[in-house]
Parts: sequence; structure tokens; C-alpha cells
Amino acid sequence: MKPRTATLLCAALLAAAPVHAEHASPAELANNTAAPLVAGREYMVLANHPNNLSVIDLADNTVLKTCALPDAYGPGLLQISPDHRQAWLLNNRFGSIYGVELDSCNVIFSANMSLAADERTKSVLSLAISPDGKEIYTVQNPSRIYVDRYEVQQPRLAVYDTASGLDAKPVRTFPMPRQLSVMQTGADGTLYVAGPDVYKVDVKTGKYEVAMPILNWNRPGYGAPDVLNAWPVQTITREFAFLYTAPKFKDDKQDIASADFVWGIMSIDLRTGAVSVADFAPLTEVYFTGIRSPKNPNHLFTVLNVLRKYDIKEQKLLASADVGHAYYQASVNHDGSRVYLSGTLHDIAVFDAETLEKITTIPLPGGDQATNTAQVFIR
Amino acid sequence: MNNKPIACATLTALALVASAPGDAAERQINVPNLIMERCSICHADDLGRLVRISAQRKTPEGWLMTVVRMQQQHDLGLSDDERRALVKYLADTQGLAPAETEGARYVLERRLNTVENFSSEQFTQMCARCHSGARVALQRRTATEWERLVNFHLSQFPTLEYQALGRDRDWFGIATNEIVPYLAKNFAYGDEQWQKWKQTPRAPVAGEWSLSGHLPGRGDFNAVMSVSQRANDHYALELRGNYADGGALIGQGAAVVYTGYEWRGKVEINGVEMRQVFALKGDILEGRMFVADHDEVGADVLAARQDGGASRVLAVQPSYLKTGTATELSIIGSNFDGELVLPAGIKVEKLLSRTPGRIVIRALADKRALGTHQVKVGAAEGGELAVFDKLDRIEVVPPYAIARVGGNGGPAPKVDARFEALAWAKGPRGEYRVGYVPAKWSVAPFNEDAKRDRDVEFAGSIDAKTGVFTPSFAGPNPLRHLMTNNAGNLAVIAEISAGGKPLTAQGQLIVTVQRWNNPPIP
Ligand code: HEC
Ligand code: HEC
Repeated sequence: MKPRTATLLCAALLAAAPVHAEHASPAELANNTAAPLVAGREYMVLANHPNNLSVIDLADNTVLKTCALPDAYGPGLLQISPDHRQAWLLNNRFGSIYGVELDSCNVIFSANMSLAADERTKSVLSLAISPDGKEIYTVQNPSRIYVDRYEVQQPRLAVYDTASGLDAKPVRTFPMPRQLSVMQTGADGTLYVAGPDVYKVDVKTGKYEVAMPILNWNRPGYGAPDVLNAWPVQTITREFAFLYTAPKFKDDKQDIASADFVWGIMSIDLRTGAVSVADFAPLTEVYFTGIRSPKNPNHLFTVLNVLRKYDIKEQKLLASADVGHAYYQASVNHDGSRVYLSGTLHDIAVFDAETLEKITTIPLPGGDQATNTAQVFIR
Repeated sequence: MNNKPIACATLTALALVASAPGDAAERQINVPNLIMERCSICHADDLGRLVRISAQRKTPEGWLMTVVRMQQQHDLGLSDDERRALVKYLADTQGLAPAETEGARYVLERRLNTVENFSSEQFTQMCARCHSGARVALQRRTATEWERLVNFHLSQFPTLEYQALGRDRDWFGIATNEIVPYLAKNFAYGDEQWQKWKQTPRAPVAGEWSLSGHLPGRGDFNAVMSVSQRANDHYALELRGNYADGGALIGQGAAVVYTGYEWRGKVEINGVEMRQVFALKGDILEGRMFVADHDEVGADVLAARQDGGASRVLAVQPSYLKTGTATELSIIGSNFDGELVLPAGIKVEKLLSRTPGRIVIRALADKRALGTHQVKVGAAEGGELAVFDKLDRIEVVPPYAIARVGGNGGPAPKVDARFEALAWAKGPRGEYRVGYVPAKWSVAPFNEDAKRDRDVEFAGSIDAKTGVFTPSFAGPNPLRHLMTNNAGNLAVIAEISAGGKPLTAQGQLIVTVQRWNNPPIP
């Protein structure tokens, strides 16, 4: 495998202490920050450098507006409220959460992940909103900062009331295991959190149990899978999905050297909690994300250096397209006619979901998107 | 890929030696006072003891990295003179014994193509994936201090436990419960060796040194290095010598000896700034001398002290003779006293010159001398001289190297890779090493991917004569698929002709992206 496909993990080594100033170039902000979103219209929202939040009108693939965000950029991870009026962001170098009113660009909520003066706390890609929009959830990884040393503390689930305004404090906190990251809420309010396995958490009591094993999946005939999920996409199909790679053994000897490596998708249906696991291709190419078509959930779009469309059941490649430069995230629109690629540089590529023909590129005001998360919704 | 060379890390390179003679101010500084004044605000306990600082030992470069972090992350104010004085003091009072650096000096010497190989796979995966494992092996700490280091890592780099080789395991649990005890056992603070080294009398340094070296891409050289003391552990240097190709080697500079043996020099040689990282072992200096801002360009150096040192043979240049071909040989050493004795079968056709550090002869060997030998001058014996009739095979050295794209308006310069062909011959007692021979160099795709992506065309080019590979420019290349950068995976091929028959060998060269940070210990 080429060195270039493996660069993300090295680049993503986040220094917790501010080291360098972020991009200084001023954002070429669209000046219509007050332009309201129109009910019934379909939009995509995402964040990028230096610290922008852009709303894209998917009817004509243009940038409707760009809001300037407070503090520093990174990772620009975003969730849309159930009423589709606010964007909730993990930002400020993984250190703060913000609520932004999309019609006005006003910041209506902010919370610093550090809850004490002698604490330095980061949330690693962990943010979700309750189905009624009243609470947001995040897992915080604190360290105690002594005058001459640091001490790693146990992570905690922090629950915030979305109506708490600026400088909000959590209404509840619960101890959590380490290495938790992306999350989503189920229709019944269950919080699903990805980590070594995917846990389901009762947000009232903090009790958790394994909902979908990953590291401990013990799938007969397979070795442990590897999962990279930094993109908690609120899919139109309402699933919490993870692409995995795993060794599939030839026989009972479980010899890793002769095993075939496969790609697969494992997911939790957020409406029912049902779990599904399915291989869909041999491991020949690296992908960062995959998303099912809302038109046909058996069709999967995957992307990094190339955009692919697979039939999951048949384990068959249906279409493939060159993408110009790498994109981390694939999204789809509600009728399943388009695929949007985002992440990395400062554009969004639009493809026809049927043919994978390129339709257009939408340039974004500002710079690099890095590992942001884009969301698609109908206002 | 397993054979991965030393990985990514932070901090920029900082000189350990001031420009001579600008270090007078540095030597005026009272370091214990400085520590009490600047460090104790954060580091003294109720009894005024410097708890953290006193429970670690490391190399000068190790201390440099820590002190620079105090400046960059903890707003510690220090002038450059103060920093150098502080690092000197800490390395002298809490350094490593020479034996404690054995096997890990390649990072100090900046041999960045070294492929590390630790017996513990767990240690390698946990602690040698972002930086070298040698960075760890060159420290000694109490268990508490190793544990605090683990806590520092995860607090400073919170995504560490989510990355590849982090998310597949309980990183913090393993680091705390398995790696800390492993480190506390294998790299314990209170080592006997350090106590013993502290009692060992320090070797004298001033005087003349006879120096021999080998610079890949150019060849052998020898020189006389005159060392004069300017202050305790601080020296001025002058070098005068020649490359085997006839070019002069002239330079001057300064050196500081840390911890009684860690020689760090900064010299300008023929107008190029170079660093010396040597270990002083009695009357011997051994290590590497490299271009300051191109550490891939560097020579192995071995030197012996003439004044008061032993009589020694250090090297024979070139290190081989072909039977029946009269060849000029230089025997480099120190305090030569007595007759030059060559093994049976080697005849001195003519003595060309002789000084106490260098004997130059024209020699002719016959079949009786086939094999490898040491050379005797009086009571001294050393060097290596191989006599061959026919070369049997060659190998590419290093077998695996990294070059980095650079330039193109970016801050990072290109990093070359330099290859040599090492020749071997067969004798009745098996194979023996002959030495580096001139070869014809070329590159080819290393595998199918490299062929498909036309890496040979994009990644750079190799000088057919010197074996120096110069990588291509940095940044995306619009001519490449996906506008990717000029990375590549190449086979490096050496070819020589041995008695009319071609001999070839192959190495691997990875051309990759720039190294953004260049810490004192990679
Ligand atoms: C403003 C407070 C502050 C000052 C002043 C300060 N330090 Fe530190 N030092 C820290 C903190 C915080 C840490 C722990 C985090 C880290 O390792 O960077 C630390 C860690 C260390 C460590 C342990 C590093 C390791 O790798 O485990 C050493 C040794 C050290 N300091 C030496 C010094 C010396 C020597 C000075 C004075 C020249 C100094 N410090 C001045 C705050 C300070
Ligand atoms: C995610 C990458 C990463 C991993 C994994 C990692 N390190 Fe480091 N380490 C760093 C970086 C970056 C620094 C430089 C910190 C600085 O000085 O700013 C460092 C510094 C160090 C230092 C020098 C500290 C000093 O000031 O003396 C030591 C020793 C060290 N690491 C040991 C370890 C050990 C032991 C492990 C395994 C438990 C480990 N590292 C794992 C990134 C890593």
C-alpha cells in the first residue's frame, strides 16, 4: 500500500495544548448570514477552516450562507437538531460544543469540555442529540493538570440541556470506559456510543452494555475487525453504520497469513436497535466512509481515493468513479439520486447516484475541511 | 509494513554547541542557581526537592527536548546561553553511562534509515510508532517517572488511543500495567553503571587526533584534528586532511564534551556546516559527522589521540587489494612506531610517505594473500585489508532507505538517499567482506503498484556514478493520478563488472513526504 493512503493517522495526532495559530486567512464569508432556510428545501451543512459553517442549498448546489464560528476550528463535527433549525458542533480543538441557529448564525449554546480550572478535557468526536432535541451528549476525556505533571482521568458522559445557553454546565455526568468516540441516539432515546465495542447507554442512569461488539465480535471464521469511524453521519436511513476490515480465515487453523481481508458494514438500526453485519468486498482499496442509498439500502457508496458503489448482498461492485482528490465522507440526498463527497480540501463533489457520473463541484468559502462531518436534511 | 524506519515526531533541531567563541556567556552561568530560580516554582516539593527533574537521566539531546518543551509549552523563559548551560549541567549530573547508550546511538548519530528491531513486539507497537524506540531506550527513570510520562503522552495527545495501534487495544491500561513495569525494569533510574561511570576518571581530550572516515557518495578520507581546550569541556577544533579522491578536507569549529564522553562538535568543513556526534572512549573517538541541515549526508568516523594516546592502526584506505594490481594504500592510525608489517603475499612496491598518523605505500598482492587481514605497524595492529582475486557478489547498503520530497517553495528541503555497493569474495574459509566498490546505479519500480503509478518517472532520479538519489519536488503533482505527490516505491539497483561478468544487487527506496519536524532525537 502506498505511503499516501496512511497519512491521516499521523496527521490526526492532536496536540491538546495550543501550539500554532490556526489559518490566518480571512474567510470570504457570504454576507447574507441572516438568510433564513426555507421549509421543505434540502440542505447540506458543514464546517471548515478557518472556522466557517456553510449551508449549501442542494436544489441548485450553491452556498446559501456562511456563518463565522467562535474560537478555534477542529474537528468541525456537526449534528443537526431534530427540528432542523440548529447545528450542534464539536469544535475549538476538540474542546468545546456550540449550538448555532441556522437562520441567524447566532450562537445559542456553548460549553467548554473542561469542567474545572485544573482540568484539560477533550471530546474525541463524541456528540449526539436526543430525539426530542432537549439534550445533547458527549463523552469527555479529562486530564488533571498539576503544576508539574498531568494525570489521565476516567472519561465521563456529560449530558447538557440544550436550553442552557452560553457557558453551559452539564446537568448529569456518568463515568465511562476509555476510547469512546462517535455516537447517535435511537428513536427511543437510547444513546449508542462507539468505542472498542458499540455500547448502548441509558442517559438517565449512565448504565451501559454492549449493543454491538466490534473488537470482541467473536465472529466464527474471522479475526478481529478494524474500524475507523470519525464521521457520525445522521443518515436518512436512520442507521449507525461502521465500515470494517477483517481477516477472513481459510479454515479452522485461523492462519492470518493466508486469510483473505474483507470489507464489510456493521450497523445498528436506530429505529429498532437491530444489529446487522455483512461483508461486501475484498480489501483492495482503502475507504474512510460508506453510506447506504435511501432508495435501496442494499446499495452502498464508499469513498476515499475513489468513489465506489456496491451491491452488498451480491458482494458486487456496481460502479466506480475517479474523484480528483481524496474525500473522507460520502453523503446522500433524501431521494437517493445524488452522492456528495466532503472532507479534506475546500470543495464538495456531487455525483449521480445511479451512474456515478460527476455532476458538479461546489467550492466552499475558506480552507481545509480536515475531518469534519457534513449533514444533509430537509428544513 | 514492518520494516518501517523511524517515524514522525515533533520539535525542531537545535544546536547543542554554540558558535565558537560565543559560548563564554554560557560558561558564566551558575546553573544550580538558575534551576532554583526558574524551575523550582513549578518543580520543588515542600522540602525544596526537585522531585521530577531528579528522577530522570538522559542524553544531552534528551535533556534538550525536555527543556525546550518547558519553554514552548510551559512558558519557561531562558536565553539560548542559559539553555545550553542547563542542558550541559543536567547531562553531566544526570546523564547516561556510555554502556547505557550502546545499541541506541544510531538516533543520536542521526542514522535515520535504521530499521529498529526490539525483542518486545508490544513495546514496538506501543512506544515506537510515533518516534524511535531508541528515544525511549536512551532514558532512565524511576517507575513513577515512567508512569508520569505515559500520563503526559495521553494528556498531550488525546487522540493517541484512537489511532491505528491504539484503538485495537486498551492502550492506557497496557501502558500503565505492562509497559511501565517493563520500562522500570529495563531502563531503571538507579543503574550501577551510572554510579561506576561517575567515579571513572575523565579521559584527556586536548591535542592532536588522527581521524579516518568514510562518506557515502564521496569515499574515504583522513585528517588530523587539532583540539585545544578553551574551558572545561569546551574545545576549539581544526581539521586538515584529504579525501581519497584527492580533494582537501579543511575545517574548523568547536566541540563540547557532555557527561565525560558525549562529544558534540559543530564544524565548518570546506564551507559546509557539519555536526559531530562522537563517543569518547579513552583515546578513541567514534561516531558520525554529518551535514547540519542534511543529516542524511554523513560519514562514519574513527579517530585516535596522538598526544599521549596509544599506538594504533585505525583503517586501511581503500580497504582492499586486487591480486596483481598495484594499488596505493593509506594506513591511518596514531603514534606509529616501528616497522610496517604486511601479511605474506603483499609486497610494498614503494613507500610514498610516512608520518606518525599515516603511511602511504604502493602495494601489490599475490594469491597467497587472499582473504582479510589486519595490518601491523610496530606493536599496533588493526584496520581491515581484504585481498581478492574475483568478486563473488555485491549488496546494496543500506538495503532500505527513505528519501523525502522537498523544496518547491515549501520550508522542508529535499532529503536525499545515498547508496553504496558492498563487495564480497569467497575464500577457502567462506565468504569475506571486501569493501565498497564503484558501481553503476539505476532505479526500477519496486512492485506492481509502483509500476502502475509510474513512480520511477515521478519520484526522482539517481546519479548513475555516485549512487546519490535526489527526490522530486514536494506537493501535488498535476501529472499524477489523483494529483498525488511524488511519493514512490523504488528498487535501487547496483551493477558492477567482475571479470567481465556483471554482478547486480537490489535495495529498496521509499520516497515519501517531508519530515515536518526534526527533533533532536527522532
Ligand atoms: C510553569 C511551570 C514549569 C516550569 C517553570 C518548569 N516546568 Fe518542567 N514541567 C512542567 C509541567 C506542567 C510538566 C509536565 C508536563 C510535561 O512533561 O511537559 C513538566 C515536566 C518536566 C519534566 C519531566 C518531563 C518528562 O519527560 O517526564 C522535567 C524533567 C522538567 N519539567 C524539567 C524542568 C526544568 C529543568 C525546568 C527549569 C529549567 C522546568 N522544568 C521548568 C512545568 C514547568
Ligand atoms: C502518538 C504518538 C506517540 C506514542 C504512541 C508515544 N510517544 Fe513518546 N512522544 C511523542 C511525542 C510527540 C513526543 C515529544 C513531546 C515533546 O517534547 O513535545 C514524545 C516524547 C517522548 C519522550 C521524551 C520525553 C522527554 O521530555 O524526555 C519519551 C522518553 C517518550 N516519548 C517515550 C514514549 C513511551 C515510553 C511510549 C510508549 C508508552 C511512547 N513514547 C509512545 C509521541 C508518542
